[in-house]
Order: sequence, then structure tokens, then C-alpha cells
Amino acid sequence: MTVQAPEHEHVVGHEGPPPRRGIRRFTGAGWLRALWVVPLAFGLATGFVLGARALLDYSPLWEFQVLLTAWMVIVPLGFLIAIGGFDYWFYWISGRPTRPEDHSGHGARSWKDYFRVNTDHKVIGVQYLVTTIFFFVAAGLMAMFMRAELARPGMQFVDNNTFNGLFSVHASLMIFLFVIPAFAGLGNYVIPLMIGAPDMAFPRLNALSFWLLPIAGFIMLASFLVPEGGAFAAGWTNYVPLSVQQPPGNLFFQMAVQWAGASSIMTALNFLVTIITMRAPGMSFWRLPLLVWANFATSTLVVLATPFIAGSQFFILFERVLHTNFFEPGGEGYAVGYQHIFWFYSHPAVYIMMLPGFGIASEVIAVFARKPVFGYRLMALSLMAILVLGFSVWAHHMFVSGMSPWLRIPMMATTMLIAVPTGIKVFSWLATLWEGRIHFKTPMLFALGFVSMFVIGGLSGVYLGSIPIDIHASDTYFIVAHIHYVLFGGSLFTIFAGIYYWFPKMTGRMYNERLGKLHFWLTFVGFNVTFFPMHWLGLHGMPRRVSDYADRFGNLNFIISVASFALGASTIVFLYNMIVSWRRGAPAPGNPWRALTLEWQVSSPPPVFNFDEIPQVVGSPYEYGVRGARHAVLNGDRAQVPERERVVSH
Amino acid sequence: MVLVGAAVGVALALVAVLIPWLPPSDSKEAVKVDHVYWFVTVICAAIFALVAGVSLFAVWKFRAPPDDTEDGAPIHGHTGLEVVWTAIPAVLVTAITVYSGVVLTQIEDIPKDHRVVEVTGQQFTWSFHYPDGDVTSGQLALPVDEPVELRLTAKDVIHSFWVPEWRMKKDAVPGIDTDLVITPTKQGTYTVICTELCGLGHATMRAQALVMSRSGFDKWLADEKAKAAQAGSAAGKTLFTQQCGTCHTLADAGTQGEVGPDLDKVLAGKNADFVHESIVNPNDEIASGYQPDVMPGNFADVLTDQQLQSLVDYLLDTAGKS
Repeated sequence: MTVQAPEHEHVVGHEGPPPRRGIRRFTGAGWLRALWVVPLAFGLATGFVLGARALLDYSPLWEFQVLLTAWMVIVPLGFLIAIGGFDYWFYWISGRPTRPEDHSGHGARSWKDYFRVNTDHKVIGVQYLVTTIFFFVAAGLMAMFMRAELARPGMQFVDNNTFNGLFSVHASLMIFLFVIPAFAGLGNYVIPLMIGAPDMAFPRLNALSFWLLPIAGFIMLASFLVPEGGAFAAGWTNYVPLSVQQPPGNLFFQMAVQWAGASSIMTALNFLVTIITMRAPGMSFWRLPLLVWANFATSTLVVLATPFIAGSQFFILFERVLHTNFFEPGGEGYAVGYQHIFWFYSHPAVYIMMLPGFGIASEVIAVFARKPVFGYRLMALSLMAILVLGFSVWAHHMFVSGMSPWLRIPMMATTMLIAVPTGIKVFSWLATLWEGRIHFKTPMLFALGFVSMFVIGGLSGVYLGSIPIDIHASDTYFIVAHIHYVLFGGSLFTIFAGIYYWFPKMTGRMYNERLGKLHFWLTFVGFNVTFFPMHWLGLHGMPRRVSDYADRFGNLNFIISVASFALGASTIVFLYNMIVSWRRGAPAPGNPWRALTLEWQVSSPPPVFNFDEIPQVVGSPYEYGVRGARHAVLNGDRAQVPERERVVSH
Repeated sequence: MVLVGAAVGVALALVAVLIPWLPPSDSKEAVKVDHVYWFVTVICAAIFALVAGVSLFAVWKFRAPPDDTEDGAPIHGHTGLEVVWTAIPAVLVTAITVYSGVVLTQIEDIPKDHRVVEVTGQQFTWSFHYPDGDVTSGQLALPVDEPVELRLTAKDVIHSFWVPEWRMKKDAVPGIDTDLVITPTKQGTYTVICTELCGLGHATMRAQALVMSRSGFDKWLADEKAKAAQAGSAAGKTLFTQQCGTCHTLADAGTQGEVGPDLDKVLAGKNADFVHESIVNPNDEIASGYQPDVMPGNFADVLTDQQLQSLVDYLLDTAGKS
């Protein structure tokens, strides 16, 4: 797991603080401080709740849900304070001297630097990716348990409660702890490099937003250990009233979503400010790589939409703990109201989980087809169109919910319209291949796999957008098939493409190409055999979220389960390749793919502050095959900057 | 390239036609929904054939030899093409939207003089009330070729009513009424499936739907009414099959639910107080291996005292006796 120390040790302030001795090891920021602060926070939370309840003479004194709420707010805060997430701000607040040029929290010299609050966007990017892959494996194992149960009709391995917990936690982890933050991790690593910036706009906020994630993931996993009733088991959608009637495990979903959501929002703000204010001279918006455009659109979505899911889960928390009546029909609440708030986030969330993948696909396809991205400006504008339309379609998840009937046809129209900018993107990727010179490296295989699988997911989305078909297909395995074609065939394939593509940049080593290709083909075949037959199951009457089903679906489910185990096994190939290549892979050159974007113009891995001198951007990032074209001029080669570009700044 | 596209298109058409993707369509509404399905299928298959044709051809034709260091042709875009592939999909999806909207109004049209059935979802069972004869049953019976309006509601959490062969589905939501119009066109027995996750017994929340001739239906309604008039143990048996059998096994009633404990085992030799208490306050004593809060706690409100008494009588008579 060692990452080579960047060769730029001369950078001022990068030597780090001197090692602490004696008692100071337990008072300075870090895991040793967490050892005593976390139990202390736990005690404080417990004491506060019990003390307040005793004073107010509430009965019972030991109210488990109230305690859980207090624990899940205060203990994580204690942990964050202990590891040093707030140290700089505390110095500032208390008027103690701070040094803006203090970069002791920056960069990684040994593997230990990945386990502390680190302000280097490259370290944070790797922290994100390793953490999210851990949760990806955990959530994937849950899917394996589910498929084992579903291999035959009847109940075999788990009871209904465990099964409902498995699919709820599986979805929640995959969405909030894998797909969304994995893209945030890739973006974190790549965006500052791509726009020619030394780091993100707010490095300390960046560090903090990463450390919220393991908290959210830990809470979700820990829900399985709740003594009364186990994990949250009302699905990741957590519809009211079921969620309000659930055992205390449901609180773990509400609180985990708050931590993961806060992390998302903070990262998105950071991306927006970075992209708007920290572009290198000459890097106009029309010269931004499409990955940056995609993250710009995504971050806008995150900032505007995520507060809604946070709100929706706070409402449920209030219903459970404060006994409010927003949605509970027993108290004149409106159950469907929850779904509106939930989907107002969760539909845009689909694009939050998709647009960065579009960006990755554009980068990878241009580089490995050796061609400019076809219709660059329309590609960028279609991202923005999806961003705007994405907010106007949420109720298509609710066509059979009993909501106001008039809302359905307008929402169907906007839903269908989203197919247009999405179609533009697919056709433009295909046109980018045309007359290219295509190299089938692993990232390209995954990018092309993404395009084909995403087309299937997109087209089944057109079926579901049509209300009469949706009435038949909603809440069935057709939906399970559709979302996996979009989120697995779409998001996950692009995450794999991105990881393989930037692996040499991140680690300074090449991955094993043969294993990469093996991983792709196992995934591609396993994925299709697993998920394609689910369309049929759904149309023929198998509802989703069931542990048992009609006997006539037995054989097909058995085939699906076997294929899903092969799909699960393909992950072992991936993990083996990543770990072994990281330790012993061939050293990577700065630009193994002959790409034009800025991150490939520096060493692998890049210097601590990315560029010795901020580059001057002079052209489009995709001018493959254009004689004499340049994207940027680096390292003081000012004479090469055309006259008209020299005045450009922002 | 045209050849590749055509080959993919033919293969897709075979897949779409030879595999029966849809269950039988046994209602007037189902036929209309299927028309929309085929309309969308033709459009989607054409688009997929185009995409697959172009990408397979491009991948084969433009692959670079190993160690090739050339770049591709510097094509940046083509306004005409971009206009075309914006406009054509826009037209196609508009067509789908309009057609879907028209079909939606047709299948939701409530004709005059129709029959009404009130459907209530409850963890984990359905009950159907017929205002005509003031009868409640655990089965949904409908006369063939007559439109019926199902008025749906739920007692506890959200459920969803679905019969795949009829293509129609709607959530049953506590606190509000929703409705659904169905005109079954074929006699037979169907399964009502709950499709909205409603708790631990969700996978087993099923009911029978019977479509019969008009005269058969009238007779069925009269029989159900007679059953409801029964008292004591016999009424208890009817109630048990409707309300309890989805989750509980009881040999006498022939039910095989596995969500809750096997009543032949856990109720054998118990007294009336215990049985009564187990129904109205199920969390008081939980059989080993089962969890609290699974069985609805509202049976004291849902059932009348007389119904409760008949249920207790029936269980005392039969549990563990066969």
C-alpha cells in the first residue's frame, strides 16, 4: 500500500510536524486522541439525555430511540474533533495563531498519512476511493446473500427481517457510500489537476467532508447489530408510514443519511468554488474537459437537491422521536407527501450518480479513440439540460402512488424530454468513435460497455416513463433490472473505467492489462445474465423486495443467482489487480495514454502542489489529430503562448 | 454498417416476438396497455439496433493496430447531424407521450352504472367489501366483461394492488382513497399481489381474484352473505382464512403461512384468555424464534367483539387437534 513519496520534498512546510512524545500523543489530533474522546462523547450524550429526562421527570428514563439519536449526533462529532477535523477552525475561533501557509496536513509520505485528516486533494481522492470500494464490497456481499436466498422459492437462509434489512442496507450503501462518493473521490483527485489548480478551493473543508463518510457507512453497517429488530428494513426509500413503525434500527438510516448528505453538500460546494474560481489562466468554460463540466452540473444538483433528502429523513426522525404528525395518517398527516420530498432529491440523485460517469466516458472515449469529442459544446449543454430537466420529473416515481392525478402527464412529458439530451450524449460518443483509431485498453472497454448498457437502461426508462406501462411495471423486478442497468451498467462501469484510467496517475504504477480485461469480460457477461432476465420476471408478476416468490419463477431465479455469484467473483479479480499492481506494478510514465488534459502533463503521481508553475491554457483539451494544437503550455515555456492568449486571465 | 444494424435489428425483433415478454392480457385495459408497450418496443428496438449497429461496426472497423501512435481524423462535430439526432428523438418521445396520455385517459375512464368494490390492504392481507350485498370477503370476485371500480385504502401502511394479467396497479394508502377501473375479459383465478413493501410479510401478501359469469358471481355473493351470517366457530373459520391464513399455518383451515408461528403448535392446549390476548396484544408473548411488531396490533379495533369471539372459539376448537 505504499505510495511513492512525491519527488518535490523541497516544498516549504511539507516536512510535517515533529513527532509528539508522552502525554502529548494523546492530546494532539489523531487516533490516540479519538481513543478517549469517543468514549467521553458517548458518556456525555448518555448523561445529557438521562439527566434531562430525570430532571423533567420523563418516563421511561431509558428511551432507546432518544439515546440513539443523541449518540449518533454527538459521538461522530467527538470523533471528528478528536482526529483533528476542526483543529484549524478552533485555533482561529479562539484567537490562537494560525499559519495559512502551514501545509503540515498536506501530502502523503507513508501509508499512515492516508489515515489522518489530510488536506491534499490527491490524498483525499485516494481516501475516498479506498473507503468507497470497502463499502462497495460490503454492499456487494449483501447482494450475494440475497441472491443465495432467492436462488430457490421458499425460505432457506435468512428470515424476512434480515432479508428486508439486507436489501435496504445494500441499496443505501451502494448509493450513499459507493456511487456518489466514488465519483466525488475521482473528481477530488482529478478536477484540480485538470483545471490547472494547486488544490481545491477549501482543503480543510475537503478533509472534513471525507471523514464524514466512514461515519455514515459505519452507522449503516452497525444497524445490523441493533438488539431490537436489527437493521433498517423499509427499503432505501423508507416510505412512511412503514418507516415510522419500524424498530429503532430505522434511526440508523436517518442519521447515516445526514452524515453522508452533509459530506456530499460540502464536497459539491468545494467543487463549485474550485471550478469557478481556480481555473488556470486561459481555461475558459469552453476549454474545460467534459469531466469538469459534468462535475460542475453534478455539484449544482447536489447543492440544490440533497437538503431535501436530509429534510425528509429529519421529518421521519421527528415523527419517531418527537411524535410529530407530518405524514402519519393517524394524526391527519399525508403519507404521499413524504414521497414528494423524498423523490425531489432522489430523482436528481440518479443524475448525481450518472453525470460524472458521462464525464469519465467522454474523457476515456476521446483518448482511446484518438479523436476530439464529437460536438463538445452540445455535450456540455446537454449536461446542463439534464440538470435543469432533472428537477422536473420526480413524480414519475409516483405514477401509482395515489398522488394528484393531474401531475402525472406533465411529469411524463418532462421525463420523456430527458431522453433527448441523453440521446445527444450517446450519439456523440458513437460519433467520437467514427474514423478514430480505437485502442481497447481496460478503461475503454468499460467506457464502451457503459455506453451499450446505459442505452438499455435508458430505453427501459422510456418504457417506465410511459404511464400505462409504468402502471404495470412499477414496483416489480422490471424496476430492479432498470435501475441496475442504469446504476451498475451506467455508474459502476464508468467508475471502473475511471479507476483504471487514472490508476497510473494516482499510484505511479501500471495496472495489469490482462487482469483488467478479464475483469471487464467477467463483469460484462455476469452483469447481463444477472439483470437482463429480471425484466421478464417483473413483467410476468414478480414484485420487488420479496424474499419468496411463486414457484414458476424458480428456474430463472436460479440462473440469475448463479450469474450473480460469477459477477461477485469478478470483483476479486479487480481487487487483486488493484492491490498487487499498487505494490508491484510497472512504474507508470507521466502520460501513458498520450492524453492532452492537464493531469497527464505532470509526473505520476503528481507533485504535492500539482504544478511547479500554474500552466497557461491555450486551447481545447481534445485536439487529437489536429496538427500543432496544444491544450496548455507548462513549466515557464511562455514563449510558446500565442500573443492573444497572454492577456487572458480571470 | 447497414448490414450490422439490420442483423441486430432482426435479432432484436426475434427476441421481442419469440419470447413471451408479457403475461396473458385478460382485461380490456390490458389490451390497451399492451398496444402502448408494442409501440414503445418498436421505437426502442429501432434505436437500439441503430446504436448497436454503429458501435459494433465502429469497434470492428476503426480498431487501431497494436503500438499504433497515429491519431484519428480531427472531426469536431457536424451541425446537421447534431440537429437530426436532437430532433428525431424529440419527435419520437413526443409521440410516445401523446399516445400514452390518450391511453391513460381511456383506461381510467369510469363508466356510468359500474359496480364498486372497496379494497382494504392491511399487514399482510387484503379484504374486499361489496356495498351491493354489504358483504366482506378475503377473495375478490368479479363478473366477467363488466367494468368495476376498485376503491382502495389501507389500514396501516402503504400497500399496492396488482394483478399482472390485468396490467393495472394502484397503491392503497392509509388516510386517502385511491381508485382503479378494471374490466376483466376472461374467467379464471388470478392472484392479487401486494407490490409496495409493507413489512415482514410483504412477500406473502396475496389474495385470490375470481372472475366468473354473472350468474356465478350472484351466487358467490349470496354464499358469502350466508357465511357472514354464520355465528360461532364456522364464522371464525371464514374470518381466519381471510385475515390470518396468509401468515399462520392451521391444518383445519388449510392455511400454510410462515410469517408467524404455526398455530397448531403454539396454541395447542391453551385457554381462551391466552388465545384472545394473543390476537389483540400480540407482543405480550412472542413465540420463540419470532419477532415482536410483525403481527398488526390493531385487531381489537379492526374486528367486532362478536368476530373476535368467533375467532377464539374456532381456534380453541381446532388448533392442534388435527
